[in-house]
Amino acid sequence: MSKVLSFIILFVILEHRLFAAEAGMPQLDPVYWPSQIFWLIIIFLSVYFLIAKIFIPKIEDNIESREDKIRKDLEEAKSLGEESEKKLKTYKDLIKTAKIDAKKIISQSRQKLSQDMQLKGKEIKKEIEKETENAQKEIKNFKINSINKINLISEEIASNLIKDIFGEDPNKSSVKAIVNEIMKGHKF
Amino acid sequence: MATNPMHQFHVYRIGPEINVVGVDLSFTNASLFMLISAILILILLLFSTKEKKLIPSKIQLISEMLYNFIAKMISDTAGKKAKPYFPFIFSLFIFILFCNMVGMLPYSFTVTSHIIVTLTFAIFIFIGVNILGFVIHGFKYLKIFVPSGVPVILLPMITIIEIISYLSRPLSLSVRLFANMMAGHTMLKVFGGFVISLGLIGGWLPLGFSVALTGLEILIAFLQAYVFAILTCIYLNDALNLHH
Repeated sequence: MSKVLSFIILFVILEHRLFAAEAGMPQLDPVYWPSQIFWLIIIFLSVYFLIAKIFIPKIEDNIESREDKIRKDLEEAKSLGEESEKKLKTYKDLIKTAKIDAKKIISQSRQKLSQDMQLKGKEIKKEIEKETENAQKEIKNFKINSINKINLISEEIASNLIKDIFGEDPNKSSVKAIVNEIMKGHKF
Repeated sequence: MATNPMHQFHVYRIGPEINVVGVDLSFTNASLFMLISAILILILLLFSTKEKKLIPSKIQLISEMLYNFIAKMISDTAGKKAKPYFPFIFSLFIFILFCNMVGMLPYSFTVTSHIIVTLTFAIFIFIGVNILGFVIHGFKYLKIFVPSGVPVILLPMITIIEIISYLSRPLSLSVRLFANMMAGHTMLKVFGGFVISLGLIGGWLPLGFSVALTGLEILIAFLQAYVFAILTCIYLNDALNLHH
């Protein structure tokens, strides 16, 4: 390392003469100063006008349109959120009223049903009573009829028996009277 | 010739001699590199503003980041009133940046390494800021030399110091950029010369220095453009919002 450094130092000492040969700064030579000022003004002004009139409005437009879009989107999202909240509220209200209605309908129909059932029950009861009355009547009739029939049959049997035993026709009216007498003793 | 580190700053005529009323306005290599920088700027801006996408492409992002960077710089230092001067600051920053960066290419010419170029900018800014100050504030603009809250005994001295510092603004502004550019490029050239003359054995150390210096110079190229622009903003701020 020290070897390299000493090399550099030696080089600088040796070459110092060369650096000094073209002494002075070219920057301080005024020959081309007017030219540099002239061309700088022309070139910089053209760059300035192009940037100011064309490029900056374009960039501004880009950035602004993006910000506008973002702002608009945010506003839209907000309004949509509000709307959806509103919708949710109306939905909830709707469900609430529907529930109330349903309850009302259920209770009403229950009432109606019980009323109907009572009415029907009454009707059915009436019918049943009617039917039983009829049936009782029929039974009564049947009873009376059957007694008469039994009387007749027994009269016939009795007359037939008498005919077979005694060989002559019995007095019909007397047979009837005897059968009636016997039948009265039995209760159906 | 090759070993002279100042040779790179030589200005010579390219093409015909243009002579206007005895003043030599010929197109030189300095003019050529100004033109190259300008064309590069315009190409970059042209491509980066060609598309208008909601989600910017990479090249579109360059222009937008540049815009936001400079807009933030101006609003931080000079406030909202400086908005009309945004295109000027933008052009100034990007032009100096590109001149510095183009100068970093080997065998190119660094436009900003010439005092006359930086001085032209600085004097233009100085005059512009003064005109602005006097137009906006009238003679009250002279208050800038009289800071408030200073004891009366010290006031004459402070005022003189303020005047001197105010008048040296264009000089400091121009010399800062010019000296940085010149020193950096001279150093690069000197170390580059060492690499050649020390050869295979000794050339590695200056080569390493050269590489490191190149990185440093790129940083300085950006930094000096930034400093130039931000100082312009600060001077503009003095003229727009009189604080003293």
